[in-house]
Amino acid sequence: MPRYPNSSQLDVAGELLALLRDTTTEPRPDSQLEALTLTVAADLPVLLWGEPGIGKTAALTQLAATLDLPLTTVIASVHEPSDFSGLPVIGDDPAEQGVPMAPPDWAVRLVRAGRGLLFLDELSTAPPAVQAALLRLVLERRIGSLQLPPGVRIVAAANPRASAADGWELSPPLANRFVHLQWTHDHEVVVRGLGGTWPQATLPRLDPERLAASVEFARRAVCGLLAARPGLVHRLPSNEARRGGPWPSPRSWEMALCLVAFATAAGSSREVLSLLVRGTVGDGPGLELLASLDRMDLPDPEELLADPAGAVLPERGDLRQAVLDGVVAAVHNRPSRDRWDSAWALLVRALETGAPDLVVVPATTLATLRCEAWPVPAAIEKLAGVVSLSQRADRTAARVQARVAVGAQAGR
Amino acid sequence: MTPGTLDRDRLFAARLHAARARPYLATALFALHVVESRRVPTMAVDRYWRCYVSPAFVDRTPEEELAGVWVHEVSHLLRDHHGRSDRVARERGLHGPGERLRMNIAADCEINDDAFGEGLVRPEGAFVPEDLRLPDGQLMEDYLRQFRLGPLTEGLAWLDCGSGADGLERDWELGPDGAHGLTPQERDAVRFRVAQGITGRPGSAPQGWERWAEEAFQAPQPWRELLGAAIRTATSGSGAGQDYTYGRPSRRSAGVPGVVLPILRRRPPRVTVVIDTSGSVNDAELGSALREVAAISRAVGGRRDLVSVLSCDASAGVVHPLCRAEGIPLVGGGGTDLRAGFARALRTGQRPDVIVVLTDGQTPWPSSRPPCRTVVGLFPRPRPASSCDEDDPDYVPDSPPDWARVVEIGSGPGGR
Repeated sequence: MPRYPNSSQLDVAGELLALLRDTTTEPRPDSQLEALTLTVAADLPVLLWGEPGIGKTAALTQLAATLDLPLTTVIASVHEPSDFSGLPVIGDDPAEQGVPMAPPDWAVRLVRAGRGLLFLDELSTAPPAVQAALLRLVLERRIGSLQLPPGVRIVAAANPRASAADGWELSPPLANRFVHLQWTHDHEVVVRGLGGTWPQATLPRLDPERLAASVEFARRAVCGLLAARPGLVHRLPSNEARRGGPWPSPRSWEMALCLVAFATAAGSSREVLSLLVRGTVGDGPGLELLASLDRMDLPDPEELLADPAGAVLPERGDLRQAVLDGVVAAVHNRPSRDRWDSAWALLVRALETGAPDLVVVPATTLATLRCEAWPVPAAIEKLAGVVSLSQRADRTAARVQARVAVGAQAGR
Repeated sequence: MTPGTLDRDRLFAARLHAARARPYLATALFALHVVESRRVPTMAVDRYWRCYVSPAFVDRTPEEELAGVWVHEVSHLLRDHHGRSDRVARERGLHGPGERLRMNIAADCEINDDAFGEGLVRPEGAFVPEDLRLPDGQLMEDYLRQFRLGPLTEGLAWLDCGSGADGLERDWELGPDGAHGLTPQERDAVRFRVAQGITGRPGSAPQGWERWAEEAFQAPQPWRELLGAAIRTATSGSGAGQDYTYGRPSRRSAGVPGVVLPILRRRPPRVTVVIDTSGSVNDAELGSALREVAAISRAVGGRRDLVSVLSCDASAGVVHPLCRAEGIPLVGGGGTDLRAGFARALRTGQRPDVIVVLTDGQTPWPSSRPPCRTVVGLFPRPRPASSCDEDDPDYVPDSPPDWARVVEIGSGPGGR
């Protein structure tokens, strides 16, 4: 006797489908999903750029589940502009009562629910008039005569220019209003997912204790950079390759400040912060902001000088050199014998814990800061190796010179 | 120093010399983390900015050459050779260790043709394009097309600059989870600081590095796609192409009484291509660009009879519709005045929706914005050194005006 009678072939198919859908999840850090979550939490319009079929919708579904928001997906390219700006409905006496712009049903439901995640997919394949209507929805949060409540968050998605057949691109003023996130797939995640284990992203949680400190930190970071680099405040994209992408303006800097505060309160990694900041003000200004955050992270020269024995220097060579240069500059600004001696102690420490060539320039500069009355500290003897290293490099340079001279004589 | 241990003083003295000879690379040189390794033939880097060093190689190499190797290895990382190798491998379907070796050789050619000299000695055995009988100054992607493994590269099977040069992970590398690797954000930060140092002090670095610094943080965008996007945007904007209109009610309206629905209306764009046929633009460039424009306008639905072509040097020629195109006479030579070309394009018959200009930019431009969208495809020309013209030291050719969208044609896919 067969387990299934012939008539229930669909039941067998159903069982097979159930087996296929039976997948598990595993926790896995996911920078781009974390960046998306923070942007949605910060209530900024976000635009996901990614090739078709890359899992943008899946990510949004997961995000909606985690934030406990109902998800409404609207495929922009199959709609007409009137679906977003409202359909004109002619009543009995248009001249008297006016022509109301009726909103579509999904908008009415969304407003009635008061909260939700609205996902506008396939922006790039919609005709220009539809895009114009959509942008009003994204920026002013209006559909016809309806105003979306604050509990509704909006996410849009577009295909990159190269793969979008219709080649839509954002004009600079519109691009400036979005946080641009590049959406890519992780090969390993896809393979494991198809094997039955999808990642369960651990989403960032804002720490209520850190809110005030985060705002203070974000303001210090952004204002510190813009005070030193006024040229970065506003810079229209100058060449064709950067069109349609993020660029710096007071508006986008405000968004960047907001995102730095959110990322700090959530304790996010630098990777996530990098995605957010570069997606808001563009690569160059974003990297400058990140670099100035790096410098804010470096140990304070004054603290190092106060306690050279307990100093912890960065492991990475270029950062270490930046710190040592900072220490020497601090001594230069306010020279005293104690500070000068502390600086030597720090240089010795740097020599003992890392590459010697980093110490050469700071040591040479520090030596020139000496007052005649100050005795030479004993620590300097330990730096003899540095001096010989420097001389070795000088000799190398001389040999290069000689080789060039010989080469020139030989007529090469 | 006992044989077999790494002579750190020698290695770091060489790095110090390299940083003195190339101050703009100092940040990158110092950011490398040294890993002693007996399995690498010389020196190699991985994509996480670790530098693997063979103690025996350090012992037998003079410091001045070692400095050159430092600069060479760090150049692989700054120029993103691993990322570009992966991209090329994907695009052209190049797989296997042999192809990766070719990528390593091509990357070496890109670096070595201008890395040495001015205080740095070319290391023994460093591979230059000349060894492959290829010209200097090209990109890795271009070199890769022009040679195969054979007699000329026979001595190079040992060549191994690590996964930082060709993207192929080696089993002696520490991999993504090993100690002291740089995260993608840290790598970008270092590359950015180097690029900033170069653009901040123009003239301090050779031209190859200055170009790299200008382009380091742009996604590679081939000109074909940029030109295509510019033309598509111009032809699909309001007033041309396909859009909604309330001019006539939609047929869907019948089903929704009382509601006015717009219809989708289509008006194919008219495109006029103005071609600069002055002596300074060569035929190969023109041919490829013209083919590109024709293909793009067909793709956006422009009928062939709506695309016309106009050649222009100091005076404008006759407007030819593209449907007769196979033999459009490109007459001209000598100087250019594109103002004549614009005037002629706008005067002829029905006004175009878009004018596409293909030029090298050595021309005066109309002083006011024409009444249609303009896309300029610009053939790159080396910028003349300042005041090289003895008769008129102040002469600078006009750059294309603000109202035109400018796409540089023929430059490679970025990265350098």
